[in-house]
Order: sequence, then C-alpha cells, then structure tokens
Amino acid sequence: MSVSIYLHGVTGSGAPLEGGREAGGISTQGAEAACVNCHQRSGLGSAEGSVVIPPVTGDYLFHGHSHGGDTPVLPYVESMHGNREPYTATTLARAIREGIDPDGRRLSYLMPRFALDDADMAALIEYLKKLSVHHTPGIADGILNLATIFTPDSDPVKRAGVLDVLEHFVKEKNSFPIGPSPRMWTSGKTAYAKSMYMANLRWHLHVWQLTGPDTTWREQLERHLREEPVFAVLSGLGGRNWAPVHEFCERNEIPCLFPNVEVPVETGDDFYSLYFSKGVLLEAELIAKQVVALQKKDAPVVVDQIYRSGDSGGPAARALAAELEKQGVTVHNHSLAPGGTGHGLADALRASGKGEVLVLWLRPPDIAALGPPPPAETRVYISGLMGGLEDMPLPADWRAHSLLAYPFDVPDRRGVRLDYALGWFSFRHIPVVAPQVQADTHLACSLLSEVIKQLADSYVRPYLIEQLQAMMEHRLMTGYYPHLALTYHQRFASKGGYIARFSAIEGGHLVADGGWIVP
Amino acid sequence: MFWLSGAPSLKESAVTLRSLHTRREQSRASLSVLRPSRLDRVPWVVLLTGVALVALVSRGFAQESTTEGADAPAVTSARITSVPRYPIPAVHLVRDDGKEVALADEIDDGRPVVLNFIFTTCSSICPLMSQTFAQFDHKLGADRSRVHLMSISVDPEEDTPARLREYAKKFHAGPEWQHYTGTVEASLAAQRAFNVWRGDKMSHTPVTLLRAAPGRPWVRIDGFVTPSELEHLYRQQLESAQTVATR
Repeated sequence: MSVSIYLHGVTGSGAPLEGGREAGGISTQGAEAACVNCHQRSGLGSAEGSVVIPPVTGDYLFHGHSHGGDTPVLPYVESMHGNREPYTATTLARAIREGIDPDGRRLSYLMPRFALDDADMAALIEYLKKLSVHHTPGIADGILNLATIFTPDSDPVKRAGVLDVLEHFVKEKNSFPIGPSPRMWTSGKTAYAKSMYMANLRWHLHVWQLTGPDTTWREQLERHLREEPVFAVLSGLGGRNWAPVHEFCERNEIPCLFPNVEVPVETGDDFYSLYFSKGVLLEAELIAKQVVALQKKDAPVVVDQIYRSGDSGGPAARALAAELEKQGVTVHNHSLAPGGTGHGLADALRASGKGEVLVLWLRPPDIAALGPPPPAETRVYISGLMGGLEDMPLPADWRAHSLLAYPFDVPDRRGVRLDYALGWFSFRHIPVVAPQVQADTHLACSLLSEVIKQLADSYVRPYLIEQLQAMMEHRLMTGYYPHLALTYHQRFASKGGYIARFSAIEGGHLVADGGWIVP
Repeated sequence: MFWLSGAPSLKESAVTLRSLHTRREQSRASLSVLRPSRLDRVPWVVLLTGVALVALVSRGFAQESTTEGADAPAVTSARITSVPRYPIPAVHLVRDDGKEVALADEIDDGRPVVLNFIFTTCSSICPLMSQTFAQFDHKLGADRSRVHLMSISVDPEEDTPARLREYAKKFHAGPEWQHYTGTVEASLAAQRAFNVWRGDKMSHTPVTLLRAAPGRPWVRIDGFVTPSELEHLYRQQLESAQTVATR
C-alpha cells in the first residue's frame, strides 16, 4: 500500500494521491504526485541544478545529522540537509501535510502538501523507514562482488575480447586501491570531503557462463546469484536473446550495466538495465526513417529484407517491417535457415530483386558470399552492427551503392574519444579482436568505477542507477558514441546514428552519408 | 556541519563538466547579490521574499511600476530580473508540428512571448513548470490568442516532435503554445543565448522568460512562479509596453 503511494501515487483506498501547493500554486494528482518523481526510487533524493531534493529514507529523516563534529553518522549523499532537527512521526506528518519542517520553516514550493489520512500517513512513514536501509548484498569484507554474464550463443571471439578487458580492468583496480585521503594538519578535514566517507573496496568479478537453451537460463542465473551474491552485473555479452538476463536483473533489482547486446530489451517501466544503445533496433529505426522519406503519394515503396532466423536480424527485421507497414510501405521478408555460410542467400537475393529497397541483416560470412549486386537503382541498406562495421567484407561491386546503418560515430570523427581506450589496450597487450565491443566494455568499466566513487559509501542499488543517469551526460570520453546522456526515465544512453557508405570501391574508408540521425 | 565544510570538493571528479560548473555556480551565486552586474548584463537583481517588491526597471526607460500585495510573487521566492536584450543566435529548431523554424522568427513574431526550457522525461521540476504555463494560459482567457508560449527541450535527442506533441497534449496546450526540439547544438545555442545552460540537462533549473513585444526588455524569473504571479507580471509588462508605445 505504502509502496503504491511512494511509487505510483495511489492511496490505500485506491484513490489517487492529492498534492496541493499554497496560495494559487499548482496542485498535482496520482502518478505525477508520487514521491518517486523527485525523491527517486532509492529515496536518496537528487541535486538538479539549483533545486536540491533531500533524501527521505528513515535514516536521514529521523536521525540527527550531528551538528558540528566530524564523525560521519550517515552515509554521504549529495542532497542531504545538514541544518535541521531530526523529524519525529508527528513533525514528518506535518511536513507532508502542511510543508513545515521540524524547525518550523516552510519547505520548498516544489514540495506539494499532501492530503493523507492517518492510515496512509502511517503506512508511508513505515515505508520510508525501511527504504534503502543500508543492506548491501554483494558487498562484504571490503569486496565489491560483480558478475558478468555470457550467453551460450555469444560470439566466442568477442567473448574472449570482452573478458580480457574486464579482467585487466579489475586487476588494475585492485592493484591501486584508492583509500580515503589523509587528514590535513590545519583543519583535521580530509583533502576531499567525500573521501572521508569513501569505502575502499576491492573488486571481485564473477563470470557467469550460461549453458543450454534459453528456457533454462532463469534457473541458472538464480542459482549463480544464490551462490555468489553480487552488487551489480557489469558488461557481458549476449547473442540472439538477452531477455532472460534482463528479466533476471529487474526481478532481483540488480543493476545490469551496459551489456554488449545487439537486441536489448525495450520495455516501458524497467529500471535496473542500462544500455549504450538500442543496437539493431536503432538500426531498424534509422533505415525506416530514410525509407519512409522515399515514399511518394501514388508509388508505395517496396522493401525486401533478408535475415537468418535465429540471429539478431530476426527481431530487427520485425521491428523494421512493423514500422514501415504502419507507413504504407510493402515489406517482403526472406528468412534464411540458421547457420550455413551463404546458404540459401542466392535464392533469397533472386527472389528479392524487384523492390526499390533491399535490407540485409547478415553476418560477415554471408556478406562475403553475396553474389552479383542488384541493379544500381536499388537502394541497399546493411546492418553495420551485424556485418562488422567498417571491416565488413563487402564485395567490391556492392560497395558503390550500399548504405550501412551505423549506430556509432563514424571512424574519422571518433578518434580522440577512442584513443584512450585503444592506448589502454595496447599498453596492456590486450589483443584488439573486436574493437567496438571491447571499447564499450572498457567504457562500462570506467563508468562503474566513476559512479562507485560518486556513491561515496551509499551502496544502494537503485542509487547506483540514479547516479549513473545523473552523471552520464558529463562524460567526455564516450568511445564509439558522439555523446551519451540519460535521465531518470531513460535506459539507452546513445540515441542516434548515421547512415554511412564507403568512400571508394577499393580501400575506401567509411564516411557519413548525411548528418547524425535521431529517429 | 561536516558535510558543508568541504563544499568546494563536493564533486570529486575534476574532469567532469559538472564539477567545473558547480564551482562556477557557487562563486557566481555568492556574488550575485553583492555584484549586480552579472554575465548576462542584468542591470540589477532583486531578491523577492515575504511581501514581494517588484520594481522592474529597464534601460532607457523610467521606472515603470512597483507592485506589492497578494498578486506579486510571494509564495515561491523567485528572483526576478529585467534583461534589456538577449542576442538570439541564428539557429533553427524543429517545432512540435515537425516544421524547421528559425528561433529568431519564432521569438520575434510580434506577439508577447513567454518562454521556458523543459524535457519530457523530467519528472520533478518540468511538470510543475508546464502546469504553470497551462494554468497561466487558461487564466488569460480570451487574451490567450495574443500570446506566444514557447517551451524549448533541453533533451532534444529524446524529445522528438512526436514526443513533444504527446507532452503538449498532456498539458492541454492550445495553438498558442509550441514546443521545440532540434539538434543538440541548436538546443544548446538557445539555452546559452538565454543563459540557462547549466552544464547538462540534469542540472536544469527553473527559468521563465517573458517579453511584451520585440524590442522590449525581457523579464527573467529564476525559480518557481505561480500561474497568478506569472499572469500578474505578464499583464504588467503588456501595460507598460502599451504606455511606451502610445507616449
């Protein structure tokens, strides 16, 4: 019940929560009045520009924040208020109903005054008391336990590359532990105020290799978690289906940070899974945007698309077809049998010769086996992500008029942003076998490392997600992506891509064919 | 208070834009009262508390009006300043109807403008600002057709025209209220032009700007404002613009 008030703005009676503001102010109801909108899922608040939203968990409300004195009583959070008396149940009820703090001061205009009856108030206060109590699964004896997950159908070459980066990063992390900075003579304070609260944790990475059919993964994941409790899931590599892992993270409320997956899960209200981009689903949106622009009033465009069933191309092709058919485009799907290099490809190409647009969702071996190209007037779109990006083995006679969906920054523009990661690999003799997934893995590790510092010692899982969302946009080293950004309601950090082409038939490099597109 | 003692290093990571920015904000905030002439060439600053005192002065004109009482911003402690001019950059934005438009044309279309900056996935301050616009618009009654309400997205890659339309619908926006998106660069240029860029969208702060007519000074409201307060300021500005015009 109290969960409903906090998260959904629904009171015990089922009626929407009502929040008012004084004299002519704006009132608010239901989901928009829910506490979570400002105080966040963790209850630890946020600092949005000049607007500071304080933590509302029991720890921060009911305990004194030590007036003066240097001993930290509570874990540091950015938005905590120092200058007020602790709340009691009575003064808290007054604050929620009338907007008056324990010292008699008026709360910010942003904070509504809520009409709650005694039962709802009691339930809400109970909820706040238990919210984000500092129970930290996955952290024990100075060790931060993390898992990385590989599905059985993930590419073995990429898997080795990802693991290499992860293991080096963790090893290095543990060889230079950063502890609290020393106290300064004059003030007795530490050089960095936050470092006073900073826990010094070693990282331990658990590799969870899934086996067998995807129907058994749920059970395997739950068993792994029982045996090796972890605080978060970092990176990893998926194949055709990542949904069981995504659902596992949501169900167990475990942050699942930037896995290398081509088909991420796209559902509305999930919270714990963050991705760099929508992968092939983003490619489908980029292609759809261009194809729809080709449509003329009396001449509907016909699109043929070829993909292998059982691979990432299937979901991508379905997403593209759904979007195009909504716009009146005719789509013919040609599904090839799983596996087999080039097998069935010639037939599919022959059958698809009539459309104005041909879309290929194929892996490098199939692309290398493409036969004669379609007529020059056919527009060809190829999935960059599946086909190997700029290293795609596209036959010379296809290169002139093939366009690549490219959900990254183009090679000649991302140099500086990528140099650090590439230098890092080279210095550690890490073979670069899959540059993009390895760079993304390094980026995921760096982001986690940074956000862990940001948490100080508030190891609360939803707070980890909220802090990542808040800091993402400041990051300058964004690897393959021109920029990254998240807000409290977003889960895909990079939102656009290019349509790219090869600049020359032989030895040409990949260039953008037009500007950055945000579909 | 131990957590305040280390204020300059609240943000530890020195390479982020935010930390650089936070420090700049802190120093600027502490100076703003003492040194009225800020970067945006504000002639002076009034901090409104309790019974409000609004005395909007613009360069080149005599003092225009002083008001006090229940209508003036008392509830929200907003800071109101008069800014003679914001140079508008030559950028194009995409309006919620999908049309590409020049920012300057939209602002200088002759109507009084009320402008704010929002993003659709913001659940804390933006819904409050958009509701304020909605109720302000409603309060104008028949005068609504004269005003131009503009909301520019600070998260343009997420806020496609379709999302903006959906958002506008939620707040029952009429034809006089438009939302704008565009490239990241264009949105940034607009934010910088009105001095609302605070390092990133998560540091977005509530700012409302209004101007009675092209050539007239802008009224800048930093902080929250109620619909009545906004209406009061708006009508006051319109009136003084008319006085100047008929003089």
